[in-house]
Amino acid sequence: MTTTVAGPSGTARKHNAPGREEHRPRKSWAPYLFISPFYLLYVLFMLIPVGASLWLSLTEWVGLGTPHWVGLRNYRLLATDISFHRALGNTAVFVLVAVCVVVPLALLIAQALNTRGLRVRDMWRTAYFVPIVVSPILVALLFGLIFDRQFGLANAVLRALFGTGGVDWLGDPSMAKVSIALVMLWRWTGYLTVFFLAGLQNVPRELYEAAALDGAGRLRTFATVTLPALKPVTAFVVVTSFICAAQIFEEPYLLTGGGPAESTLSVTMFIYRAAFQRQQFGYAAAAAVVLFVLVFGLSRLFNRLLGIGRAA
Amino acid sequence: MTRTRVPLYGALVLLLLGFLAPLLWALSGSFKPRGDIFGYPPKLVPDPLTLDNYRTLLTDQPFGRWFLMSTVVAVVATTVSVFVCALAGYGFAKFRFAGKRLLFNVMFSSLSIPFAVILVPLFVIVVKTGLGSPWFALIVPWVAPAFGIFMMQQYIVQSIPDSVLEAARIDGASEFGIFRTIVLPLLRPALGALAVWQFLQSYNSFLWPLVLVSDSSQYTLPLGLQTLFVSEQRQYDLVLAGAVLAVLPAVALFVLLRKQLLEGLSTGAVKG
Repeated sequence: MTTTVAGPSGTARKHNAPGREEHRPRKSWAPYLFISPFYLLYVLFMLIPVGASLWLSLTEWVGLGTPHWVGLRNYRLLATDISFHRALGNTAVFVLVAVCVVVPLALLIAQALNTRGLRVRDMWRTAYFVPIVVSPILVALLFGLIFDRQFGLANAVLRALFGTGGVDWLGDPSMAKVSIALVMLWRWTGYLTVFFLAGLQNVPRELYEAAALDGAGRLRTFATVTLPALKPVTAFVVVTSFICAAQIFEEPYLLTGGGPAESTLSVTMFIYRAAFQRQQFGYAAAAAVVLFVLVFGLSRLFNRLLGIGRAA
Repeated sequence: MTRTRVPLYGALVLLLLGFLAPLLWALSGSFKPRGDIFGYPPKLVPDPLTLDNYRTLLTDQPFGRWFLMSTVVAVVATTVSVFVCALAGYGFAKFRFAGKRLLFNVMFSSLSIPFAVILVPLFVIVVKTGLGSPWFALIVPWVAPAFGIFMMQQYIVQSIPDSVLEAARIDGASEFGIFRTIVLPLLRPALGALAVWQFLQSYNSFLWPLVLVSDSSQYTLPLGLQTLFVSEQRQYDLVLAGAVLAVLPAVALFVLLRKQLLEGLSTGAVKG
């Protein structure tokens, strides 16, 4: 398995070229010392908690005293818990929005920003990126203002443009999902655009020129030159947005509190609510294990299919 | 030529409005008296313009302490994390050793572990072991992101030639000496990018502080503002001013170091 480099740009090959590969270490323990701080933290703050989650999920525990072993009961309860089903469904919707709406839109914007001779490219790129550096608290306040039913900016604009603007953005179950999706779109698109733009700038011009010589139109060029060259970036972006969206918390928690009628409750919110508002630590851990299996399994699958992370 | 570009620039300007208008709306709202924030028709320029929101916030609320808490935690977490990532990234980029592929895969796969999975046990562990002091607990879970290691590894492979390291070894430099005096200085752009990113992540983090910090004297900025928002019956004036003040340093930091950050972030992903 060799690593695919985006485009034969040569930079990545250069260093392996003159027969001198990675050097032979004089002291074999040196690399282990370099990576050991990471693994120490990894074991303490990743592996042990994941293990503890597995164990807790088989117990009933209110946070005080000793956990009480209940076997698989938490999982059986989850299987029939309508709130958990809603949380899974809502989270799936958010994941689909991220992967099928936000990612393609980011690619489209990157394509526009990659236009040859575009003025102030840096300014567009920077401005579009700003929403992701903004504190989630401001995001929530902001969209609370905008989506307010009576006095919000969104309805005011609709009223001015179309004469009608009674949309209940946050109060109607389906509109609340749309509102969260809009916030995700606002926050994440510019961030992902940066990755696509870097990928596009790495596609060698000769490929485009060759396609033009062959008389390929814009769409053909996009499908036969751009997309294949972008495969590594796309893989990374898709997997990253999948993982982020699967654990979405801040947007629904701060903006809708998961409501109305749990229509925006996410799995992470479900876990938070079970553990820290209802003191059902075992139950929360079981939900966390389900989330872990889904996210870890699917993203490993994507990684394998799309072939990323093989750089070592 | 210029005529055909009109739709392109038109679209870009519309997007610019879409991304920045909400922020301007928040900024404008923070200068409006409470009653005007939801006034109809909406006014972008506050009239009358008032500084009362900021004045009340800064005098009545411990905004400075929240800010200090967030900043110190973020700075410490960033420093440690950048160092750990550079070490591990270098180890993976420039050495061959037994078990490397497996260890790399283990590291890389930790990217796919959702934080929600470790949230509950991490909280329990931290509290039970008495490490619940926010100074420790707020910092530690953020210091070893696989993303940062991957980024460092990619950057080192691409930009630090083996010959430089060999030469230093022939001169008798120690392995850590080489890392400190040769690798770290050459890594500066990537370190900068990762540092900005980590800082923003920690500074803006919400879920973990929300779970962990119960003592109001140890609130971080997002937590303080959130509490204020809830306790003030969703009155927007004070909180909006606070949120604007909280966001300004983050945006300023980003705009100042944008080139480094944007290029550094995409290094890892582009060469996959």
